Amino acid sequence: MTATRNRESILVISGLHKRYNEGKSNEVHALRGVDLIVKRGDMMAIMGPSGCGKTTLLNMIGHLDRRSEGKIVIDNIDTATLSDGKMTAFRRDKIGFIFQLFNLFPFLSAVENVETPLLLKGMKAGVAREQAKMLLRELGMGDRLYHLPSELSGGQQQRVAIARALITEPAIILGDEPTGDLHSATSAEIMKLFRRINRINQQTLVLVTHSRWIAEHCDYIVHMSDGKISRLEQGPFKAEEEN
Amino acid sequence: MGIKSSFMIAARSLLRRKTKNLSAILAVTLGVTLLVGIQITTDTLENSFMTSLLQRQGEVDFRVSNSTTGGYLTSADAENISALVPNAVGIMPELSTDAPVMLGSQFDDSVEMAGIPTDFPEAFGSFYDWKTGDKLNLNALLASNSSILLSSSQAEKLGLTKEATLPLKLTTEFTNLTATVQTPPTVPLANWTVNANTTSAQYVLNSSSPYLSLTVVPVNFTGIVTLYTINCPRLGLSNYDYINVTAAGSNNTLVVLGFSMDDGSTLTVANLTNIETLNTTQFDLSPYSERTLRGDAFLAIMSANGTQAEIEISEIKFESSTPIITYTPTTERVDLQVVGIFDSKRPGIGSQYRGIVFKLEHLQQWMSLQDPQQKTDIIKAYLVALKTDHFTSEISRDYLQEQVDMFKAVTPETVDPATGNTRKIFRVQSYRLTFFSIAEMVMTLLSTMLTALGLLIMITGVLLITNVQLMNVEDREFQTGVLRAVGENRRGITQSMLIENVFQGILGGIFGLFGGLVFGQAVASYLVSLFGTGQFSVQPVVSQQVVVLSVLIGVALGIITGILPALRASRVNIVEALRGIKVAFEEKSGRNLALFGVLAIVAGCFVLLINGVFDKTCEGIWVAEGWNTLQEWRNILIGAGLLFAGVGIVLSRFISRVKALNFTAIAIWAIPVFLFVVAMGEWIPDITGLAPDILIIGVMEIVIGSVLLVSVNLPPAMKALRSVLVKIKGLKGVGQIAPALISSHKTRSTLTFAIFAVILTLNVTVATLVPTNLSSIIETEQDSRGVDIIVTLNKPVANIANVSYVEELYKLDSHIIDVIGFKTYASRTDYQRYAALNNPYSSAFNPQTDMLPIGYGELRKEQIRGNASDAEWRYNFYLSSFPDGVAQPPADEVTDGELTEMSKQAWEMFFDPSYRMAAYNVSLAKLMSDERDLSDLDLTSFSGYSGRELEGVDVLRYENGTVIKNPIVFTDSFILPMGLQVWIPMNTSEYGLPVYQAFTIAGRLDSQRAGGFPLSSFSLLSGDEFNIMDALGKLYLPEYWANQTSFLAEADGVTSISKAPNQFNQFLIKTSYDMDDPRIQSIAQAIMNFTNTNDEGYRGLVGDNFYVASATVLYSKIEQSLEMIQRVVSFLQIYVTFGLVIGTVGMAVISIRNVSERKREIGMMRAIGFPRTQVMLSVLLELVVLGIIGLAIGVVNGVLISVGFANMQGATLVIPWNDLGVYLGIITVIAIAAGAIPGWFASRIPPAEALRYVG
Repeated sequence: MTATRNRESILVISGLHKRYNEGKSNEVHALRGVDLIVKRGDMMAIMGPSGCGKTTLLNMIGHLDRRSEGKIVIDNIDTATLSDGKMTAFRRDKIGFIFQLFNLFPFLSAVENVETPLLLKGMKAGVAREQAKMLLRELGMGDRLYHLPSELSGGQQQRVAIARALITEPAIILGDEPTGDLHSATSAEIMKLFRRINRINQQTLVLVTHSRWIAEHCDYIVHMSDGKISRLEQGPFKAEEEN
Repeated sequence: MGIKSSFMIAARSLLRRKTKNLSAILAVTLGVTLLVGIQITTDTLENSFMTSLLQRQGEVDFRVSNSTTGGYLTSADAENISALVPNAVGIMPELSTDAPVMLGSQFDDSVEMAGIPTDFPEAFGSFYDWKTGDKLNLNALLASNSSILLSSSQAEKLGLTKEATLPLKLTTEFTNLTATVQTPPTVPLANWTVNANTTSAQYVLNSSSPYLSLTVVPVNFTGIVTLYTINCPRLGLSNYDYINVTAAGSNNTLVVLGFSMDDGSTLTVANLTNIETLNTTQFDLSPYSERTLRGDAFLAIMSANGTQAEIEISEIKFESSTPIITYTPTTERVDLQVVGIFDSKRPGIGSQYRGIVFKLEHLQQWMSLQDPQQKTDIIKAYLVALKTDHFTSEISRDYLQEQVDMFKAVTPETVDPATGNTRKIFRVQSYRLTFFSIAEMVMTLLSTMLTALGLLIMITGVLLITNVQLMNVEDREFQTGVLRAVGENRRGITQSMLIENVFQGILGGIFGLFGGLVFGQAVASYLVSLFGTGQFSVQPVVSQQVVVLSVLIGVALGIITGILPALRASRVNIVEALRGIKVAFEEKSGRNLALFGVLAIVAGCFVLLINGVFDKTCEGIWVAEGWNTLQEWRNILIGAGLLFAGVGIVLSRFISRVKALNFTAIAIWAIPVFLFVVAMGEWIPDITGLAPDILIIGVMEIVIGSVLLVSVNLPPAMKALRSVLVKIKGLKGVGQIAPALISSHKTRSTLTFAIFAVILTLNVTVATLVPTNLSSIIETEQDSRGVDIIVTLNKPVANIANVSYVEELYKLDSHIIDVIGFKTYASRTDYQRYAALNNPYSSAFNPQTDMLPIGYGELRKEQIRGNASDAEWRYNFYLSSFPDGVAQPPADEVTDGELTEMSKQAWEMFFDPSYRMAAYNVSLAKLMSDERDLSDLDLTSFSGYSGRELEGVDVLRYENGTVIKNPIVFTDSFILPMGLQVWIPMNTSEYGLPVYQAFTIAGRLDSQRAGGFPLSSFSLLSGDEFNIMDALGKLYLPEYWANQTSFLAEADGVTSISKAPNQFNQFLIKTSYDMDDPRIQSIAQAIMNFTNTNDEGYRGLVGDNFYVASATVLYSKIEQSLEMIQRVVSFLQIYVTFGLVIGTVGMAVISIRNVSERKREIGMMRAIGFPRTQVMLSVLLELVVLGIIGLAIGVVNGVLISVGFANMQGATLVIPWNDLGVYLGIITVIAIAAGAIPGWFASRIPPAEALRYVG
């Protein structure tokens, strides 16, 4: 644990609350004051029963939804002050998403899906295409570059999604049940990939999962229940490493 | 799970998926609105057209008049007639005529005047005051014989408003007869010339009035000298008893004197007769009483003994044993008082009269002035009403026909003492029936266009419904998978979807019905402004069956287009549906499809072979006569369409489907394009036989072909679009998304732009119609030879020394560079000036059917030809039909140059007094007969050059076998056939009867170039009311013959209708301005001011305030003639605009639908960093691109179709870029609004929420 303390914090959350349907009769208090610090290069799993607020927390971190109160600092930027335009650019540059349902654009090929964030950054189309190809090859998708998502297997789709998240070299990658839709062999492969990215690129990863097996591949495991963090646990591998 | 669960699922999806359901309902609503609206519009148009035509008949169903042309009935006939029509609800006498009228400075050269009893039957309705709308009391108003009522439409023509103060002074003219004893006609003795062919002796000739002296100096006994003249009077010999010749000369002179008669034989007065006998004998004419003199005579002398012989003739005189009294009409000017103005547009008796109404007795008094016996008991016709309230419920056509036929059957016959023929004592005419057939004729033409357009627009409704329904399935595949996974069976899914569709269909149908009704009402109120029928309002015609059918079709469509997707949905593979995997596009077709393709090929070939490619005699593929009618092209369109579609399908089994479809698309598109661009105009000379199905098939193929072509090539096109967009900063993300989206939803995208392609194709076609027509006329400016203004005077200029109207006109404006004066004459009332269609002296002549109330004009060499030294003629009076002997080029298409050359040749013949042309066996009898039916009119002859139209028609021969040859006249009438023999009354005989000369109609003046022949008063397209008199046109005589008439010259001396050589009444004026220069209008105004101001200008110069000039600017005449086209186009515009509106609203629906179901993708875009602007832009771009594709297809196709119509009319295509700009604007704005609003809302949803959206 000591070693991590020396690294800079990439994500600092304090007093985060989220209420859906605020002020209405069907108000749901999904997050009830979450405090969390993630250091650069950490790979963190968030676990908990259904409805405990894991995905909500992840959406808050990814700024896909507005928080009700609290503070989130990512890469030393307090996002509360950002306008919508800046927030979009921030999301594009600092955060990569991987979803359970992959959320690839069904009408774009693998390489097109991956290069899109680069294009949004204003990169030349040719350069973006080369980078996307390179990354996909790296992820073992070299022979599936021009396939549409519907022509790819689940694992392959998830690799494309991972490539899309990685391509902008974001400060943090957020995964919402990234292997939840895959069978175990594929899951293992994807987890191996996450591990590799984390280790080689020093890429920070935050994964929401309900699988103990996946969580155990992470450095830390955050347990949530009822909208709060109930327990923080060091992953078995991490512990091994440190020992 | 059973029907109950289906209902529950349907109910839930209806309640929860509001946007999607609303859009589906809206789509059906719009579709049904279109179907119902178009139906109501067509019916309403037809009805209001008919009503506006029939309104003029008031409550009159038919008229009974004297069966002799120009004859009258009397008050005694009333009883006979009412006995013959037991079913009449009202019978009233009417006397009618027409006369020129002046009110203030306003003039109308022909105003209808009617005399009616003030106590006419109630069945005919009432007169209503124009201003107050109160009933008028005729008895009180029309107390004096100068009191008249004026119709509101005539009042408007004369520049009056409702506020005019009554009474008003109105001046008119009536004819008064004065009797004179006729001096017997003589043969002019001047201008005899020697006939070299039959002259074989030396001679001395002095042919000058008052003597004709000839001396022959023979070298042998057979020496002869023959003279001839063409200056003889053309006399009907029935009027004269004998010929007297006064001659002196040497005793040894033998004289031959003869006159040519109309049958080609010769009336020999003297045959080698000596002078003494010649001088003392009266030559009896009684054997020749049925003949007329043709106008040429010959005189030959021989010497009886071989020595010099002399003759001196001092008189050749036609005489009658009884003196011949002629009545000379003089014109009496009468001031009348307008005591009331009635509304002639309001249902009632007022709508029957568009001019002036007198009390019957008063008009009888005025008209008796022109009768030698001064009879006052004259009735022109008895009007019969078979029912009341025609305006609210029109009489049945069949019933009316039956009643008219019945009347004819029971009418007694009488023996005509003149001819010995029997004839009916009454003639019955129903203009109502005639108008029924006119309406039918025009409506077939209009309906064709309307039905074709309507159907095509309805197709967009179908496309719209299908599109939205298809979207339904696509985005429901996932749910279907879920339903199937939880155990719902296929039938259940189909059921629940059907329930949904039925609900949407019925709801949409009900809304659509209301939409259609609202639209129908809007069209009706628009029509009121078009027809300007005032009080009489156009009601939308809602035919119940049609509306019910339309709604049913709409609802059924909603359901059917729902069923197919529902079936497809139920077959969905559960796993694939859940994973969102789309079925991959097959590269090649299966065997079944290929078989279908083969069938299509066989069917296509069959149609082509049977009807299209081979002509009836199976001579071959490319025959000279082939492929030149639209009927043939219908078969070619169908046959080739099937053939190429089949070939494409079969090919797709062997080559890639994209290539095969490309082939098919291009082929299907190219066939109608070939028809429109090449065949129409080049091969197909006219538009006759344009049936709606040809237009529909043509337009459908052109649209299907182009839509298919674009659709097949959508992916590469979108790829290209992407590669452009990703290079633009700020659009890179948009470029990545929108084009890919378009090509991924190919069916949906295709249907969307197809809607616009159809509508815009029609819009562009319709929008191009008017400017194209306008330009075709403007560009023939040159043909008018610079004539800018046509001035018509109410009567010929005054014959006063030192006052020349022409010179005065030159003085008015220095920009007037040429004034050409013309003399024309037409009498509507004096049947003695009508032309005859049969020899008036023959026993076969029937005045009922053989008289043609046509006008005349004189054309002189200098008017047309200018000075002989002019290289350019003064005016290119183009002809469209030519006399025999004009060299006509063999090709069907003549160039302008050839046409000018042919016209010039024809004019040379026209001006040659000795030219004769054979008469042909053509007839106009049908038109002039009792059952005149306007559908017999050959409207195609209204167009330009028509080639050798007399080929294959027999020439007429005299009994002795010689070909009948006559001097020639030209005409601007489009109903008089070429080669027709007509008899024109020339001078007046001693008995006061006209003397007829036979002519052959040898040329038709072009009615199209430069707005048509400028002296022509009729234009079919001018939107004027159809008037058979105007439609008849005029006969034009060369100067030589005009000089021998009593109405274009002074053949009977100076009379009220005679004209001195330069007493012109029409003038063509050239200015130095361009044809469309507005300053020409000011010159025209100056001419009218000069002529029409009391005691000043021309009126002052000649001391006559009864001169009125109307100056028409040729350009405005051209514009006017487009009014009818414009009117028709504005009908069509209603349709296409309606389509455009529905199309754009439909696009908005599709767009909202698109965005609502793309929420998840929008969430993804936002998640990976798309700024809101780019999210919106990509939604927008998709719609704009589809809109523009639709627009592009529409513009290209529309222009191509217009090329066809332009070619056919020989016009240059003008593309109304402004209108197209408006369409582009509308499409873009709607697309942007339709995409931007939902796009903006969608982009504001937090991405996390959007991502949860699963449809």
